[in-house]
Amino acid sequence: MLIDIRDLYKIYNEGKESEVRALDGVSLQIDRGEFVAIVGQSGSGKSTMMNVLGCLDVPTYGEYYLDGNDINSLSDKQLARIRNREIGFIFQGYNLIQELDALENVTLPLIYRGVSVFDREDMAMEALAKVGMDSRARHRPSEMSGGQQQRVAIARAIATSPPIIMADEPTGALDSRTGKHVLEILRELYRGGTTILLITHDDGIAATAKRVVRLSDGKIVSDSQQEVEWE
Amino acid sequence: MNLWQAFKMAFKSIAMKKTRSFLTMLGIIIGVASVVIMMSVMQGQAKKSMEMFEKLGENKITLYLWAWDGGESAQRVTDYCLVLGDYITGITPNAEINDTVTIQYGSKTIKTNDWENFDWNSGTDPWSTMLHVYLGSEQYGICNNYKLAGGREMSYLEVEKGLPVCILAAGAKEQLFGFTDPVGETITLNGDPFQVVGYYKPMDIEYRPEMDNLIVIPYTFNRTMNNNYDMNEYAIKARDAQSTVQAMTRLTAFLNGMFPMNADGWRENGDFRVSSNNSAAENQQKASMMQSLVMAAIAGISLLVGGIGIMNIMLVTVTERTREIGIRKAIGAERSSIITQFLIEAAVICSIGGLIGIGIGYVGTMIAGKLMKDVFEGMILVPDTTIAIGAFLFSVVLGIIFGMYPAIKASGLQPVEALRAD
Repeated sequence: MLIDIRDLYKIYNEGKESEVRALDGVSLQIDRGEFVAIVGQSGSGKSTMMNVLGCLDVPTYGEYYLDGNDINSLSDKQLARIRNREIGFIFQGYNLIQELDALENVTLPLIYRGVSVFDREDMAMEALAKVGMDSRARHRPSEMSGGQQQRVAIARAIATSPPIIMADEPTGALDSRTGKHVLEILRELYRGGTTILLITHDDGIAATAKRVVRLSDGKIVSDSQQEVEWE
Repeated sequence: MNLWQAFKMAFKSIAMKKTRSFLTMLGIIIGVASVVIMMSVMQGQAKKSMEMFEKLGENKITLYLWAWDGGESAQRVTDYCLVLGDYITGITPNAEINDTVTIQYGSKTIKTNDWENFDWNSGTDPWSTMLHVYLGSEQYGICNNYKLAGGREMSYLEVEKGLPVCILAAGAKEQLFGFTDPVGETITLNGDPFQVVGYYKPMDIEYRPEMDNLIVIPYTFNRTMNNNYDMNEYAIKARDAQSTVQAMTRLTAFLNGMFPMNADGWRENGDFRVSSNNSAAENQQKASMMQSLVMAAIAGISLLVGGIGIMNIMLVTVTERTREIGIRKAIGAERSSIITQFLIEAAVICSIGGLIGIGIGYVGTMIAGKLMKDVFEGMILVPDTTIAIGAFLFSVVLGIIFGMYPAIKASGLQPVEALRAD
């Protein structure tokens, strides 16, 4: 079991009138090598779910085991390590650092990982090549299109070869053609054995995943396997 | 992440945000530069004002005596000074021959106090050129802080017996002898021959140029050359600061007895004044100290303002860069990495600012020295290295302190909170 959450709550303004239960008692198990889409309307708690699963946020209550480790018991430093080595993030808004060029952005996680100067540039170039962006290595984000920026962001996510990729609306800001390209890259990663978590509100996008978890008002309303046409 | 990487990131970030970095530096630059300039000018001023006192010599008591009974009271005072031997090392009359004296050496003829023939349109100050003949004892040099440049002082016997010898101050020696050695030569004063036994080094006191234009002869010539006028000024050299006070107290008491005050507050037999440079020098020193403190406070405030500027910019920077910090945390930056990055950034900005500040401070000090060259005549203003280094270190420490808070604040955020910022 790679991801194992039990009875997870994320409550904002708890006890006040404005209390919001973004996650309201969620339990979910995901195995290594799965391709899971988490689907829901906006406000359903799917982004909160990804933030908690990705150790970007802490749950209010509940247990979370990642690869057998109890996340609640880990230190800040250990969490940083997990974000660096276990999980690769792809965000809707790309979240590239504007002052750095594509190569430097992709190199960043390798720097934090402590990869030597001699290896990390090669590794970063390799990751850029995988998403077809090696020719744009010296371009800044402002000099690239949305699709190109998202591909750089994917390169950054896969640079450390993490076992899990979490993508939050990765195609949300892209037109359908570049969106399809991004999904193709995700499928490619899945075929290589990476566990993919795809968060989306779009059922069409969710159709690309082999398992669909539907969220509504912070609760899981359905969890089903499905046939996919690309396999 | 290693330190080198952190440095590279910091430099990159500074280079990327040039305006922001410059504004941050500006505070430190102004702070450090103003500290260096202010302290240098102030030190120069203090040094300049103490210079005169140093040249005049410490522990010098000046005694003015106005007696209506001829030389008798003067003799009693000098005799009394022998009793003060524990406190004083020398006493000399310090009286000028006020009549015109014609000095001759070879073909040169110079008149003293020759006001009628002085060319007032020549642009020269009579005090810095006109020669004066003074009456003194064998202790004239010691009492007035002159240093011998060649030859010797007059001897006790020469003074007591009224032998025709003289000593030249530097300016007088130059006017009469140029660069040749005057020792052993004979000059004439009003036609009488005087042998030069020694000459003094220049005093170079800005406010007392006449001190370098003296010819000193034994005071025993008072009768023959000065119409036996009263000698009413005496220079007394005390052994140390404490002795100066003691000697002054005793002299004053003695003179109060000699010239008693009547019921109306008048002294009927004569009057006197006892003073020393010590109190003036002390006052000057106190004034300089006060000035230093005020200047240091102002300098400290400018540095502090610079530091607050840094703090503001750093806080703004954090808000502006919270998203970046979120991204960095999301891809695995540890808290310490982010703190290190911000600290180095702050320290680097402050160091560069501090170095530029020192540079401007040095140049500014030179310019200030030029602009105020009338005040600092003949003195080159040099910034104090200790102060420059101190101001530099202070600015770097400020940068680190003020850089610390925003860095801690920024790195403590949950990644998702930081990412949400826009």
